[in-house]
Amino acid sequence: MDDLAQSVLVQWRVNGVLHELDVLPGLSLLDVLREQLNLTGTHMGCMTGHCGACTVMIDGRIAKSCIAQAATLPRAEIRTIEGLMGPDGRLSPVQQAFWDEAGFQCGYCAPGMLFSAIELLAETPDPTDAEIDSALAGSLCRCTGYQSLRRAVRAAARALKDPNPD
Amino acid sequence: MSLYPSFARPRTLADAATLLASLASGGVVIAGGQELMPSINQGVLAPEVYVDIGGLAELRGITETPEGRVGIGALTVHRELQTDPRVRAQLPLLAHAATRAGGGRQVHNRGTIGGNLVAQHPLYDIAPPLLALEAEVEWVKGRETVRQPLAAMLADSRHGLGSEAILTRVLVVPMADGLGWAYEKLKASGGAYGSANAAALVKLKEGRVAAVRLVVGAVADRLIDASEAAAALLVGRRFDAEAGAALAGAVSALVAAPLSDAQGPGPWRQAMAGVVAQRALAAAVARAGRG
Ligand code: FES
Ligand code: FES
Repeated sequence: MDDLAQSVLVQWRVNGVLHELDVLPGLSLLDVLREQLNLTGTHMGCMTGHCGACTVMIDGRIAKSCIAQAATLPRAEIRTIEGLMGPDGRLSPVQQAFWDEAGFQCGYCAPGMLFSAIELLAETPDPTDAEIDSALAGSLCRCTGYQSLRRAVRAAARALKDPNPD
Repeated sequence: MSLYPSFARPRTLADAATLLASLASGGVVIAGGQELMPSINQGVLAPEVYVDIGGLAELRGITETPEGRVGIGALTVHRELQTDPRVRAQLPLLAHAATRAGGGRQVHNRGTIGGNLVAQHPLYDIAPPLLALEAEVEWVKGRETVRQPLAAMLADSRHGLGSEAILTRVLVVPMADGLGWAYEKLKASGGAYGSANAAALVKLKEGRVAAVRLVVGAVADRLIDASEAAAALLVGRRFDAEAGAALAGAVSALVAAPLSDAQGPGPWRQAMAGVVAQRALAAAVARAGRG
């Protein structure tokens, strides 16, 4: 018979760094990232899976960390928005494209938009506007009206195809 | 009993079933968490014990069963339904409907077919195609394994979240070659949900309807299987504008108690039930004709 535990030991590699943590049953991954690991770039918007501001990557697939229960991830490879920049502190190509195209205003939605763009472009290097819209559908932005986000994803697609334009 | 919830991650299906049966109350099954966590976070649900079934290998994978069904493990996520070659080839209606589910890629990556069905949510997009396809579901409860039509599960509210039983597999007969299919989701709000959804399957013979399955969702608190009404009207006929209008009227008439919520007011939902049914049938007929 399985033991009922009051806290669960998890082993996560977060942005390349190994952590062993005790997490309480019921807590979201978002809570643990922000409160136990101080990774506050992952934003809390709704806690109901609607807004996407809490998006991270779990084992290579994007997910809303507010509705992933931490204890259900005994071992996981997690990437947060803090892990997107290069080791030299430079913005990743997708971040740079959002910067260049003024993709964000307040930036609260950045985790959702950036991770959605990254996963889309890894699978679909040349997305149509409809594919961009559907890829961003899991994230809400209260500022931009979405036009600059679309432009930024198109720019990111170009940058990823041709990293050194002159 | 403790003030705080406790947690178990059984290694086998048998262990999980025994554990659930031993918990008098308060045991809640969790996998992807997409259905459960919003309610936990909002304090609507406060389980005493979480039983995490995410580690059960028995619930994974998409296979062909000995009797030729597509067997879809309960832990299969929406993303796999969209991309799996077997589902795409043999159950294109299901693969397509999974792309229309709400929540975006993030939720498609984690939300499971089992969680979707057990939620018994009238606005969700996976049950209508599966009901149209006359799917069956397999459960384990204690030492028992039960197999039943999805239709029977959907009629029985005890199979909702918090049930002692674990949904293990969904079984579906592959769609025959030349079968027309369509899933129509009418979205009137900015959110994830449709205001009326319809899944249709149609077989044509010399341009006339030979057989039809039609399920309408998101208009009432239960799905509406309109297959009999559709067959009575359409079998032996060409699906023209007149037949479409008759179908729309007949389907709307089946909606006895329409939902009235953020997706739209009841009388309009009732009318839209007919509209999506007509559109789904037209698209399925066009696809069958091309096939
Ligand atoms: S905080 Fe997770 S989706 Fe809004
Ligand atoms: S830039 Fe403010 S929410 Fe998107």
